[in-house]
Amino acid sequence: MGTDKQEAVKSLFTAQSAKVDTNRGDTYYEKLYDQCRARLDALKKLAPINNRRDFRTVIEEEGLERRDFLKWASATTAMLMLPASFTPLVAEAAMVMNRVPVVWIELQDCAGNSEALLRSDGPKIDEIILDIISLEFHETLMAPSGHQAEKQLEEAIEHFKGKYLLFVEGSIPRGLNGAFGTIGAKAETFIDHLTRLSKDAAAVVAVGSCATFGGIPAAAPNPTDAVGVMDVVKGKPIINIPACPANPSNMVGVLLHYVLTGQVPELDSLLRPKFAFGYRIHDNCERRAHFDAGEYVEEWGDEGAKNNFCLYKVGCKGPMTFNNCSIIRYNEGVNWPVGVGRGCIGCSEPDFWDKYAYERPMANANIKAPTGGVEKTVDEFGLGLLTAAGVGIAIHAAASAVAGKKESEREEA
Amino acid sequence: MIVKKLIEKIEGEAELNFSMHKGSVEDVRISFGFYRGIEEILVNKSPRDALVITPRVCGICNHAHLLAAVGALENGYENAGIAVILSNKARYIREFTLACELIQNHIKWFYMTILPQLERLTGEEGGENHALKASYLSTTITKALAIFAGQWPHSSYAVPGGVTCDPTYVDVMQATALIDETIRFFEQVIIGMEFERYLQIDSVTQLHEVQGDFGNTLHLLGTHGMAHTGQSHDRFIVFGEGLGMQSGKSIATTVSRVEVRYVKEWPQKGSTAKAVAYKDRIYETGPLARAMVNKAPIVKSLHKRYKDGLLTRIFARVHESTALLSHAKHLLQKLDLNEPSCTLESRLLADTFEGVGVVEAARGSLIHKTRVEAKKITNYEIIVPTQWNLSDGTEQDRGVAVEAMCGTRSIEEASFVFRSFDVCSVCTTQ
Repeated sequence: MGTDKQEAVKSLFTAQSAKVDTNRGDTYYEKLYDQCRARLDALKKLAPINNRRDFRTVIEEEGLERRDFLKWASATTAMLMLPASFTPLVAEAAMVMNRVPVVWIELQDCAGNSEALLRSDGPKIDEIILDIISLEFHETLMAPSGHQAEKQLEEAIEHFKGKYLLFVEGSIPRGLNGAFGTIGAKAETFIDHLTRLSKDAAAVVAVGSCATFGGIPAAAPNPTDAVGVMDVVKGKPIINIPACPANPSNMVGVLLHYVLTGQVPELDSLLRPKFAFGYRIHDNCERRAHFDAGEYVEEWGDEGAKNNFCLYKVGCKGPMTFNNCSIIRYNEGVNWPVGVGRGCIGCSEPDFWDKYAYERPMANANIKAPTGGVEKTVDEFGLGLLTAAGVGIAIHAAASAVAGKKESEREEA
Repeated sequence: MIVKKLIEKIEGEAELNFSMHKGSVEDVRISFGFYRGIEEILVNKSPRDALVITPRVCGICNHAHLLAAVGALENGYENAGIAVILSNKARYIREFTLACELIQNHIKWFYMTILPQLERLTGEEGGENHALKASYLSTTITKALAIFAGQWPHSSYAVPGGVTCDPTYVDVMQATALIDETIRFFEQVIIGMEFERYLQIDSVTQLHEVQGDFGNTLHLLGTHGMAHTGQSHDRFIVFGEGLGMQSGKSIATTVSRVEVRYVKEWPQKGSTAKAVAYKDRIYETGPLARAMVNKAPIVKSLHKRYKDGLLTRIFARVHESTALLSHAKHLLQKLDLNEPSCTLESRLLADTFEGVGVVEAARGSLIHKTRVEAKKITNYEIIVPTQWNLSDGTEQDRGVAVEAMCGTRSIEEASFVFRSFDVCSVCTTQ
């Protein structure tokens, strides 16, 4: 993220919000601060795992200015919805990230989230984090082949029993007793693999929409009976980071939060961290002013498109999609789908592949208008959404429903 | 005869069963035990849902899938009698973003697969963190991609009739700067020489000028007697056009035309991946195929000496990135931002049609076929490059990678040859 972007993130996440409680009062934060302090002091006493490089030396070697690093830390503090006074703690947490072991496995996936992780938050922080995170096992990034890889994994889970964070990419096929996906020389099914590895994990982090809700493999007719991690793993803390791909900032955010507090962040009913999924795309959309002014793109490439008007009528699902990409954006904050006039496809919501995908306007999609069902699935803060804007959408949705009907009549004719 | 089993981790897994004879590889069976059923999922969906679903086949070449999907729809419209005329702007932007995806793939493969494995194999480990170089390059070039496509991986900005983005001159300048930054990285780290000078190299005798990690790799291959290793059928095929390249097939350097209708797929025993052939013959696809069909001088010169072995194959892929960078820059210069981004309405323009989309993806030719009846997809076929390269073969022919691995002196060497094809199991099995 560039400096301006970081400032924007800060101002946004420290702003008063109807949905997420960003100010819990001094007593709460003082207690949390002490907890974090104690946690970091305890972590500092541990040696870096497997002689992982020290953050400070890496920063120096990479020629990164300390000032830039602190800016990043302050933006990240804001992203985690913590008061600015936590900035030094977040910076420290980044430095002791090499004390918390991470195991990353890929199941029924496309490797897209690993790809996204490879180009995490800048400037240069991504590379450093990749170098620092105690990634004890990651197939694609480590590229060892055959038995070597399997041995490395077994050693990691034995050595860090009860301590490692298990990051899971990809859904789990349950059909044919799991035969649609197997791993290793013994052809262990993905279900067994996940069950076994999660048993001794401190917590399980499901990364991407496949691992969280089943993703594309679970689209109708779900040929392999694919499900997400939370349908398989029981009795473990689970954190869901949906989106396709999941935003690397949120992956790093969850990890940092764990390093900092030793706990999972506050989650919504879909087990998504509220710091990332407590807002709708629509709330902070750069084209929001055009929505409020009733200025829409009617067709790709029209005058409205040239003027960056609102994409609601060409099927943008921003009004019912909870995620922070309108702020964090993608590829080092360079852009995001709405930025290229494409509209949001709701990829961080359950069933996006069947209900939200592509440019079907909301009225034609198999989903209820925002005043109805969608909010109910996102906890009590979702119910607080029916502000003026919410009502505005309802009116547009009704208008759109009529328009959609007309269009379908025309198509039939 | 001894049989040895190896599990390859390649964005998913492939199982390789080697038959060894007198210390060298005699035969190999490649199988995949992974399935999502993307083609099944597409059936009964709206034809345009393919634009969102198919990119998710693969986290590495998602953009090629998007362009093949949009190509299949546009071809389908044309077959249904609807004129599809893209503006040059839309064509150039699509081509630019595809070039960026190819470049990031090639260099990531080079740094994360080839170089570390070659160093291990030859015992010449430098202790450098190649993954960071891969990360730097792919971050930079995908930023250029994201300026037009919104995000990478998994963007959906291409739509029938064009693209949704409407870039400004500032966007184009930013993209140009990122391409220049990538070229600088090539000069300083990958080729260790001036970029323009590198592009002029057209003969093996000048290759000693190449320094950097690429030069080092060529040197390692040469000095460890691996330049001739890994030769296959010397038959190549390219279906996609664009990126400054033509389609065609090359058999023992003789180039002729191809038509997609002669491509046939069939299921293979004990694997979720299908095999594919052109008029019942097996061909190699990918950067080496593109260079052979398009007669890239330096690759032809290498081929003359080392045939379709490891050195030529690895060279062709890294070399293609330089040609693509140059092409990408040229595309940005040609962009006329006053042209329309999209020339078709967004609603579905025909109820019933069949269409084929062909794109040159990083690993070779990618084909999407869609059949639509009463506004629903009734059949969707995705034929990916790795199917060409990794199939078991026909009764007459061994598969391309199998042929290349036969005769190698150890499992480790065979595995290296295998990876020189830049294989991807998630695409192959879908």
